[in-house]
Amino acid sequence: MKLSIDHVTDFTYDTEVTHSIQYLRLTPQSSAGQQILQWHLDTPGNVHRTIDTYGNVLHVCTVDQPHQGITIRAQGTAEISDTEQPENDRRIPPEVFLRTSPLTETSDAIREFTRGFRPTNEQVQPDQHQLIELMDALLERIPYRSGMTHVQSSAADAFAQGFGVCQDHSHIFIACCRWLGIPARYVSGYVHAGDDQHIASHAWAEAWVENAWYSFDVSNGLSHANHHLKLAHGIDYLDASPVRGVRWGGGAESMRTYALVDQVDRRASQQQRHQAQRQQEQQQAQQ
Amino acid sequence: MTAIEQPAPHLYDEMLCSEGVHAHYQAYLRWLENTPDATLEQKRREADTLFRRFGITFNVYGEEEGTERLIPFDLIPRIIPSSEWNHLELGLRQRVTALNRFLHDIYHDQEILNAGIIPAEQVLTNQQFQTAMLGVDLPGNNYIPITGVDLIRDSNGEYFVLEDNLRTPSGVSYMLENRKMMMRLFPELFLAQSVAPVEHYPNLLLETLQSASDADSPCVVVLTPGRYNSAFFEHAFLAQQMGVPLVEGADLFVRNGCVFMRTTTGPRQVHVIYRRIDDAFLDPLAFNPDSMLGVPGLLSAYRDGNIILANALGTGVADDKSIYPYVPNMIRFYLDEEPILNNVPTWVCRREEDLSYVLDHLEELVVKEVHGAGGYGMLIGPKANRDELNKFRQLLRDNPANYIAQPTLCLSTCPTMVSEGIAPRHIDLRPFVLSGSEIKLVPGGLTRVALREGSLVVNSSQGGGTKDTWVLEGNPC
Repeated sequence: MKLSIDHVTDFTYDTEVTHSIQYLRLTPQSSAGQQILQWHLDTPGNVHRTIDTYGNVLHVCTVDQPHQGITIRAQGTAEISDTEQPENDRRIPPEVFLRTSPLTETSDAIREFTRGFRPTNEQVQPDQHQLIELMDALLERIPYRSGMTHVQSSAADAFAQGFGVCQDHSHIFIACCRWLGIPARYVSGYVHAGDDQHIASHAWAEAWVENAWYSFDVSNGLSHANHHLKLAHGIDYLDASPVRGVRWGGGAESMRTYALVDQVDRRASQQQRHQAQRQQEQQQAQQ
Repeated sequence: MTAIEQPAPHLYDEMLCSEGVHAHYQAYLRWLENTPDATLEQKRREADTLFRRFGITFNVYGEEEGTERLIPFDLIPRIIPSSEWNHLELGLRQRVTALNRFLHDIYHDQEILNAGIIPAEQVLTNQQFQTAMLGVDLPGNNYIPITGVDLIRDSNGEYFVLEDNLRTPSGVSYMLENRKMMMRLFPELFLAQSVAPVEHYPNLLLETLQSASDADSPCVVVLTPGRYNSAFFEHAFLAQQMGVPLVEGADLFVRNGCVFMRTTTGPRQVHVIYRRIDDAFLDPLAFNPDSMLGVPGLLSAYRDGNIILANALGTGVADDKSIYPYVPNMIRFYLDEEPILNNVPTWVCRREEDLSYVLDHLEELVVKEVHGAGGYGMLIGPKANRDELNKFRQLLRDNPANYIAQPTLCLSTCPTMVSEGIAPRHIDLRPFVLSGSEIKLVPGGLTRVALREGSLVVNSSQGGGTKDTWVLEGNPC
């Protein structure tokens, strides 16, 4: 499937910002599962391209002229493989993804929930099918509902809340896997879904089973990422976040983001357009 | 002079022994015996006034006003004969070399993990392990330009390494100020004996920091969390002694993959940051997002090799108390040598058999948090009451991996001026090791003393004091 993406992130500030810097993980890389046909990133200020800890493309964007807003736009097309292509990616030892972080720490409730998926024989690690069962049970236990959690919510917060969005589902699933001794990582990217409920900016998880990274999209109940374009992965949301920034001055901030994902290799009449808008009014402490 | 209270017979005393006095203390003791009490008392008051005037203070966490407090300074020096120091120096060089090799290894080929010397999971999931360092090459493979190793002595006078401090070891400013004070108060002592100098430490530190960078004339800065940090005095002191800028995070910024300092004449590129900020606070875009202390973007510049951090990111995994028990095997693995300095025997409570031993012998052991520092969160079994023992039993059962245990070591004592006169008090020693193109040490280090009678806690945050540390050059006469 061929996807075209148009992703705009727009920050406006109440007062002037004197200096700001962003870590941008908005550039996908070609792999067995996805072929990037063309890609363009448009940002203000000074941009420096590098590779981050996990091998993701990282753009560091510094704006040191006074400004009252920033617009970042990522556009491109990619060919997504129809079948899941688990990757044997050992650039970072998979065991590193057993590490917990504040966002992916288990709680008593999460451990209690996960206990049932622990193989009776301690020598055996759960396989992909058992993780699919875990994923299905998790979606049933924590249904998708937006507005119940926020971007800083941890796995434990969301699990206690009883509802969550893709970020929460991924964090909880990762917490469960790591507790079971299975390396798991957080993935940020885009999805071309069959309905309009989910925004096109998306998050899912990958778990290391049978010597490869398998995808688990908990929110959509999918054990393959064949409608997905991956941007970055990391220990948790903070590591894989497409946009993470700090600014000096500016007062309150409003962030508007939309991601448009189109399927371009079908006839126009069959095209499904998915558009989502997320508006976030964030009262942020002046930095 | 008032009599010196005799040390306990089962402890090693630095000055006194069953034959009377150790040879290297003879000259000093003769001087002490000939000095009137009134003179000593007057010198003590003088030292107090001077320290206050110079503002040599430290902040104590957990106290109401974030108060600045004087670290008590004791007038009686801790003296080390040169033969003993030479042995220590060899051992320290060996240990720091192995620890540096370990850091390079775990962030590259991980041979020590593949060889099964240390369980891989224990390193890779250690909270101090920094994934961001994997595959990053540092000039000269130098991770730990500055190390402070804590040494203690058992009842036979044998030295043991208690802790390797590879993150932001502090205390060197007290070593320097204590010497300055002693020379000012008692110049005659330094004329009579040949005490190895320490005052060139700031020069060595600057050389070490400069040599860590490939730049032609590298710009070095000291990065402090600010005036509320317990060691702020030291940050300011070292910057001033080296003649380099003292900066806070907000004075630096990242642009085009490099780090710059804001100055009145415009941005100036920085090449080496002697940072006194913990890893988690260095870059809010990569680590703790709430950190106001660090420099946003710093990690990207660091991974690109455009800035040197001293010490490197992720060195804490090597001085973590759960990794400490493996240091002797690191020395054997990387250097093919036997360790010169002893490790304190350590039970790792994450191991089931170790845990059950610890629970059975709690009243004999010292229990420490794996990630703790500064003498907080520890139990000294022989000194603990029933409630404290029970509390720790529960803590150990709840989270065994968080603790290690060691036998209660009888730290050596050194005669110290206390309100009752001169009495033995427990001490340790923190020598500072500088690693650049070569390893350099100034002789001695910082001697800390537990001022409360019988106390084994020497940390300044827990009421410890300090002493000047003398390494005597040549043989004592």
